[in-house]
Amino acid sequence: MSSRDEILAVAGLNAAYGESKVLFDVSVDVSRNQVVACVGRNGAGKSTLLKTIAGFLKPTSGTITSDGENLVAKPAFAIAGMGIKYIPQDKKVFSDLTVRENLELGSYASQDYDWVPVFDYFPKLKILMDRKAGYLSGGERQMLMIGRAILGRPKMLLVDEPTEGLAPSIVMHLRDVFKELAKKTALVIVEQNLPLVCAIADKIYAMREGRIVAELKERASIKPEMCEQYL
Amino acid sequence: MNILRWWWGLLLAFALVAIGRAFLPLPFANEVLIFSIYTMGCNYLLGRVGFISFGQPAYLATGAYGAGFYLFYFGNNPYLGLLMGIAAGIVVSLIIGPLFVRLRGDYFALVNLALAVIIFYLMQKVLADITHGDNGLWYLTSLTSTPILDLTRPDQFFIFAFLVAFALWAFYKYLDDSIFGALCLATKINEDKVKFLGYSSFGIRLFAFVIANTTTALAGAMYAVYLGFVSPAITGPDRAADPVVVTILGGVGTLYGPLVGSVVYTGMKDVLSKIIGNWELVIGFLLVFIMLAGEKGIWGSLAPLLQKLFTRDGKAPDRGGSR
Amino acid sequence: MNTQLLISGIIFGLSLGGIFFLMSIGLSLCFGLMRIISLDQLLYYSVGAYLTYTIGLLVGDVWLGVIGGVVVAAIVSLLVERVVFRRIYERDLPFTMITSFGVLVGGVGVIKYFWGLIPRPVPVPIAAQVDIIGTDIPVYRLVIIGVAVLVYLGIWLFLNRTIIGKAIRAGTEDCEHVEGLGINVYRLFTITFIIAGGLSGLAGGLYAPLIMVDPQMGLEVLAFIFMVVIIGGLGSIKGTLISSLLVGQVVSLGSLIYAPLAQMAPFAVMLLILLVKPTGLFGSALQKR
Repeated sequence: MSSRDEILAVAGLNAAYGESKVLFDVSVDVSRNQVVACVGRNGAGKSTLLKTIAGFLKPTSGTITSDGENLVAKPAFAIAGMGIKYIPQDKKVFSDLTVRENLELGSYASQDYDWVPVFDYFPKLKILMDRKAGYLSGGERQMLMIGRAILGRPKMLLVDEPTEGLAPSIVMHLRDVFKELAKKTALVIVEQNLPLVCAIADKIYAMREGRIVAELKERASIKPEMCEQYL
Repeated sequence: MNILRWWWGLLLAFALVAIGRAFLPLPFANEVLIFSIYTMGCNYLLGRVGFISFGQPAYLATGAYGAGFYLFYFGNNPYLGLLMGIAAGIVVSLIIGPLFVRLRGDYFALVNLALAVIIFYLMQKVLADITHGDNGLWYLTSLTSTPILDLTRPDQFFIFAFLVAFALWAFYKYLDDSIFGALCLATKINEDKVKFLGYSSFGIRLFAFVIANTTTALAGAMYAVYLGFVSPAITGPDRAADPVVVTILGGVGTLYGPLVGSVVYTGMKDVLSKIIGNWELVIGFLLVFIMLAGEKGIWGSLAPLLQKLFTRDGKAPDRGGSR
Repeated sequence: MNTQLLISGIIFGLSLGGIFFLMSIGLSLCFGLMRIISLDQLLYYSVGAYLTYTIGLLVGDVWLGVIGGVVVAAIVSLLVERVVFRRIYERDLPFTMITSFGVLVGGVGVIKYFWGLIPRPVPVPIAAQVDIIGTDIPVYRLVIIGVAVLVYLGIWLFLNRTIIGKAIRAGTEDCEHVEGLGINVYRLFTITFIIAGGLSGLAGGLYAPLIMVDPQMGLEVLAFIFMVVIIGGLGSIKGTLISSLLVGQVVSLGSLIYAPLAQMAPFAVMLLILLVKPTGLFGSALQKR
């Protein structure tokens, strides 16, 4: 893998919440337009890993670099500004603002006012433009979160459990969206839904108790059964 | 439990106070003792229950005026005056407690401050007929001497205050080490879990509220007896900072913080007010500085160090409620 | 009670409510976005008043003094935000509360140092009176009401029609998400803080001619502002407006009925409301950022 292709390199990352250590010596790498999945039980540290990369948690040691820049010292908004967008697990949007205003904020932040790609992926949002985001369903919120995040043509999306709690039809839709997105954007997805993840991932990291316990790179080995033995 | 281990910290601390009495002027020593009792209530509320109160002067005034009314209008016995002050404190806390304790932290702070200002107005203007407003109630000359310890004499008052403080400290230490103390701390950290365990967080908080504010009222009553008069100035809005500053200065949640804080604060006030009249300037910046520097306060920073020293020597560390 | 007294009482209450509103908006906004209780707003109130006095004296025009007061108050609040609050945003509420109280007390000390203890009078810029339904009403009071209304409209427009305002509203809900989009939330904090400081300064400058400017003025008004903020609910602009008007009327009309009690009536109202709604009329439940 040439270094020109690599857009994220994490090495020896350790992180803690106060006194309790959560990540131990984690190393991952992501290439341009690659789909990397992170699987593991609850509490394995997957969300923490994404949070740390995104800049919401300062690691205690280790390095995170992207395209030659060191991410560790940067505040979260600067990392987002670099084209690395974080989509948290909580399915929260700005409820008092309309869908339109939510997108406006995304555009303001990224200076990208072209919403055509967003509507290509999520036509439903066009209909919901003037509805207050607080009234959206779980699936619609997830769509809004992703739609907001892709403004500015980010080079990488860090997505935390996107399909959790969503109806199967929406999960399918998201799977197709991710497949399309992956042509232009790298994705790091934390998921419990193994079949989904195996269908779209180029590489899978399995985590347990704050450590990476496996890295599955071969097409053939990316199967739900293979993942399960590491959980 | 080993009684000696339990008590040695207290004995040491108060031995130091007693020794200090030999070197320091009597008014200073008395002031420090009463003020530290005043601060104790605030310290407990903030450190153990997690409530910040900018309105401690309200309860100070309750105790002071409780004692003051009695001594001015009804009787001459300072001991009874003290009892009246304590009773007033208990009554007011029980009436107000159930409402205040249910509020969340920031509202609690603000509401208590409003209470302090209200009481100030009450005493200064509304009830001026019986309180004589800003002039205050003076009864110094009418106090009668009391048996055993004559409270009208400052040096014997000191002994009394010393004993009261010691008893209070022992009480708070006992409380802290008991189940109730653990519950208070638990409620501060995670109220829901305490409720899941079957305890009423409301009840815990209310009990702590009454204890802390009665302590404050006691301090007020002691002021009333010691000074020989009461006036609304005791609860002026500008005095709201005092207990909070001293609590932080000494170290929030520590057992000896109020003592240390009182000594330092009163000392600084005495010394500095002779040099610069502008006391607020110093308090304000001091407070900000302490908070920015780590909020542990003097005793809060010293205590862990001392603990390390004593453990190495093989002596049992004094748990002293310090975190 | 005769009508004239009633009318002037109501107008008086409205202007008082206007002053309360200007001050409480700052506290409410700062809480909503940054989850801090910025007690130092009362310092900027005093700064506004004192600068109005000094500049008014030097230049001879009280209005210029008010403008100067607002500017200086905003500058001071910027300094405080940079030096103090920047470092402590992620700490918990009691911590920031105590620190802001320290700033307030220290600031009062600074004021005492420069201006001394003697209360300063500020001349009323408009001495005229106007006749409303047979009552003589000072025009200045009407001006205060007008300014408060304008500020409310301005804030509403800012929060609902500008992108920064919308970002602030979004930040009130969830600051991390706003930052995750790539917006510099710390700049939002600074903007909000300066607006709050400026408005508090405006309140001080406008109120100065009606009261004596003295070092303790911030602390005297403290309790009322708290009651306004608690009744209205921290974080709600609409709630702040309603409760300012309410408290203003209670104090004003109350003092017509029985003067000393008027100061305490808001307290009783506040207790009543808290009994029913412990978070205030429009307050939201406290969420950690």
